[in-house]
Amino acid sequence: MNFKKALIVYRKEMLEMLRDKRAIFATFIIPLVLYPLLFIGFGFIMSRQTEILEERGANIAVVDSVGTEISAQIMENLKGIENFTLLPWDKSTQTLMNEGELQAVVSITDSITTHGYQVYKVQVKYDSSKERNQLVYGKIRESVARSKEQSISAELQKRDLDPELMNLINVEAFDIASAQKRLGSYLGMIMPYIMIMMLVAGAASVASDIVAGEKERRTLETLLVSSAQRKELVLGKYLTIITAAMANLIVNLFSMGFSMQYMLGSQELAMGITQMPITGFLILLAAMIPLATLFAAVLMSISTFSRNNKEAGSYLQPVMLISMLLGMISFIPSIEINNLLAWVPVVNIALLFKAVLINEYQISHLLITIGSTIALDVAAIWLTIKLFNTESILFRTDEDSSLKHARKQKGVLFNGLNGLIYFALMLVLMYYLGSYLQGKDLLTGLIQTQVLIIALPPLLILKVFKLKDKEILRLKAPRIRELVFVPFIAISGAILASMLMQLVDFIYPLPAHYLDQLGGLVKMSDSIWVLLGAVALAPGICEEIMFRGFMMRFFESYNRKTAIVITALFFAIFHLDPFRLAPTFLLGLILSYLTLRSGSIYNSMLSHTLNNSLAIVISAFAGSAWLKPLLSGDEGFVWWLAIPAAIVLSLSLWGFHKVTADKNEEIIQLS
Amino acid sequence: MIEVLNLVKEFPKKDGSLFRAVDGVSFSANDGEIVCLLGVNGAGKTTTMRVLSTVFKPSGGTATIQGYDIVSQPEKVRQNLGFLSGDTGLYNRLRAREFITYFGRLNGVSDADINARMEEMAELLDMHDFLDKKIDFLSSGMKQKVSIVRSIIHDPQVMIFDEPTSGLDILTARNIVSFVRDCKANGKCVLFSTHIMREAERLADRIVIIHRGMVLANGTLEEFRAETGQIDLDDIFVYYVNQSNMEEELSADEF
Repeated sequence: MNFKKALIVYRKEMLEMLRDKRAIFATFIIPLVLYPLLFIGFGFIMSRQTEILEERGANIAVVDSVGTEISAQIMENLKGIENFTLLPWDKSTQTLMNEGELQAVVSITDSITTHGYQVYKVQVKYDSSKERNQLVYGKIRESVARSKEQSISAELQKRDLDPELMNLINVEAFDIASAQKRLGSYLGMIMPYIMIMMLVAGAASVASDIVAGEKERRTLETLLVSSAQRKELVLGKYLTIITAAMANLIVNLFSMGFSMQYMLGSQELAMGITQMPITGFLILLAAMIPLATLFAAVLMSISTFSRNNKEAGSYLQPVMLISMLLGMISFIPSIEINNLLAWVPVVNIALLFKAVLINEYQISHLLITIGSTIALDVAAIWLTIKLFNTESILFRTDEDSSLKHARKQKGVLFNGLNGLIYFALMLVLMYYLGSYLQGKDLLTGLIQTQVLIIALPPLLILKVFKLKDKEILRLKAPRIRELVFVPFIAISGAILASMLMQLVDFIYPLPAHYLDQLGGLVKMSDSIWVLLGAVALAPGICEEIMFRGFMMRFFESYNRKTAIVITALFFAIFHLDPFRLAPTFLLGLILSYLTLRSGSIYNSMLSHTLNNSLAIVISAFAGSAWLKPLLSGDEGFVWWLAIPAAIVLSLSLWGFHKVTADKNEEIIQLS
Repeated sequence: MIEVLNLVKEFPKKDGSLFRAVDGVSFSANDGEIVCLLGVNGAGKTTTMRVLSTVFKPSGGTATIQGYDIVSQPEKVRQNLGFLSGDTGLYNRLRAREFITYFGRLNGVSDADINARMEEMAELLDMHDFLDKKIDFLSSGMKQKVSIVRSIIHDPQVMIFDEPTSGLDILTARNIVSFVRDCKANGKCVLFSTHIMREAERLADRIVIIHRGMVLANGTLEEFRAETGQIDLDDIFVYYVNQSNMEEELSADEF
């Protein structure tokens, strides 16, 4: 690895970028011109508008039905408001009010309290939906409050009491948050999002051109034939994207900060910003560097994968969108960084940023955030270098585009694209219809969901397309020697999955009601057999039909590993439960393997049913001493159980693998 | 000096099986010699050249460039190799001079040597007018000249030309042809691919006829004429292709 060569690449890319008028315009000119225009212009118009409103004053109708010294005092003060015209109340008042000629109608009435005091009521009628009227109302209220003070003070003096008595009790708020913290909590909400947006936009502006553009212009091969190594090329280009991202961020922040200062003038926030030392800004910028590197690496791998600029652009869109959505997490009040969220890319930086700004963060979060970001970063760079060494990716031409490939396979139902569409549709159906069904009656709803949403569609599709459903779903009797291993696999797998669940609980404590869900179900149902049918047998059959029987077929054209992993992933996502993602994924892997390996879906059906039954039995007989190790939390959790479970699982999987060896080639080929 | 021994390159097809684009190709090219790879489109010429220039990794067999192995010493190979193809792109936003300097530096040439070589080549190819213009504004002939200088800026001993004249007008193509001759005159080893018979006839010292990834014949034009009894390279080419088809049928009959 020669850094000098990476630097040569970097310098050339930078030169090219600086010559690109479009990029310069987007990165420098727009923010430098737009923000001042936007903020200063906006600020100017706003203050001017307020001035105009002040100058225009208001027409108010007044009616004093009391006519005492005090009510006269109120009237006097109202008259004193600058630019206000007072009109007497008459028949036309209501019409004028409706036409918007009057901003308010003030009427003074009085009543006598039980102790004989005369008290006054000033009623202000106004239409609060108009901003001008709100302003007017504010002024009237101020004026009446002044009258109140004056009258009470006069009243007190009349009775030989000190008017100071009026200040007997005063409320004083004392904000212990420092100015920096107040500013931080405010900035912490919007800044992460803005900064993330700018970073990713800056990175995206050059990323698509930097590799996909070279493919499009047919310069990549020339570059590859030079004596520079692939790593050096990747590094040079990677640094360029980081520079573009950071440059975009800095220019935007600078311009925005500068403009905001003008717009907000003397307001507290602007004061805070100006008071914020330049080192503070530098620290924040430095904090964004890991994220910039991550974006650069991810976008570059996408660019390397794409055939041309256009394709890269369309792949970059979702990445930008997702980053922005993740960045928005800082808008959600009361979400704070914790040990689990510190692992989520983008989200961790956004939340950490917030925490740093109010000066309340833990070193562990900082380390996890930076560590996980860098780890992802390295993975993405590694991927890019790998892609740079993959001939089929580098020389993908327009002709063998995957879309065309898909079109060629038009007649074929089972391809990846269709699988994805099917899964997406089912996910939507599950989300809406499933929750509706289960909302009515949980147990019945669960069975209905299994049969109607999960099992029925694949069977219908197979009927409609007149496909051999038995072959496709692998409805083929398993052999005894296969079935022998299944209980061992199911039970050890269930234990490991439960361990994973405990691990999730440990990192991110689950809400209490969540843990009780299954227990609640157990209590609810009269018979354990009904429960076993609804929560173990029905999913065991229906979910297996959908995932192992049907869904996996879509991805078998790639290779077995891909089919197993994708099916398991979909299986995990389908449960719509972020906490159970990891354990369900593990189960999905095992179940997919069982079916694909043996060619019989009954193996995974049995395993799935056993797994779910185990969970119910544990919940139902939670009191039994021998089950305690499997239960969560305070009961004292036994970690070492993972070891025998892992051993049993590996051994039984190995056994299963052995006895199914000769069936290896029996995978039905679907063309 | 290029030596190719039993080179094989396979690509995976969509159905998972492998397609042999290059199937056991062997030949060599010496210094001061122009060797021409002749074959129809899709015969495996470009793939062979991409393997030689280390852009593709061979699936089998091996090759050396100036004694450096293409698999184990790819950087050394590329340092001794100049590569030029007809559809090479350029960086439009760079000036011609910057473009050439960039590739010179990437190949580890000092700035002084880059400038000296660039001067020399600019003189030779009459490029002074546009050396400091942006490539975007150059004509295709000028661009091709820039590509020529780019390919030779690190003074490689071996030059590989992949259909360098395809898509070029006659005047630009002549520039290339004379450049290829210059390379030979300077004692470089030149490998040249084309599907145009006349080009091969005029330029090549030796011709390697390649068809469906296999070498059908390897020799001088005179040797081909003697062996086939044909005069025209067109006829010679068709003769060898027919012969290989017949052999294939024969071997198919044996089963």
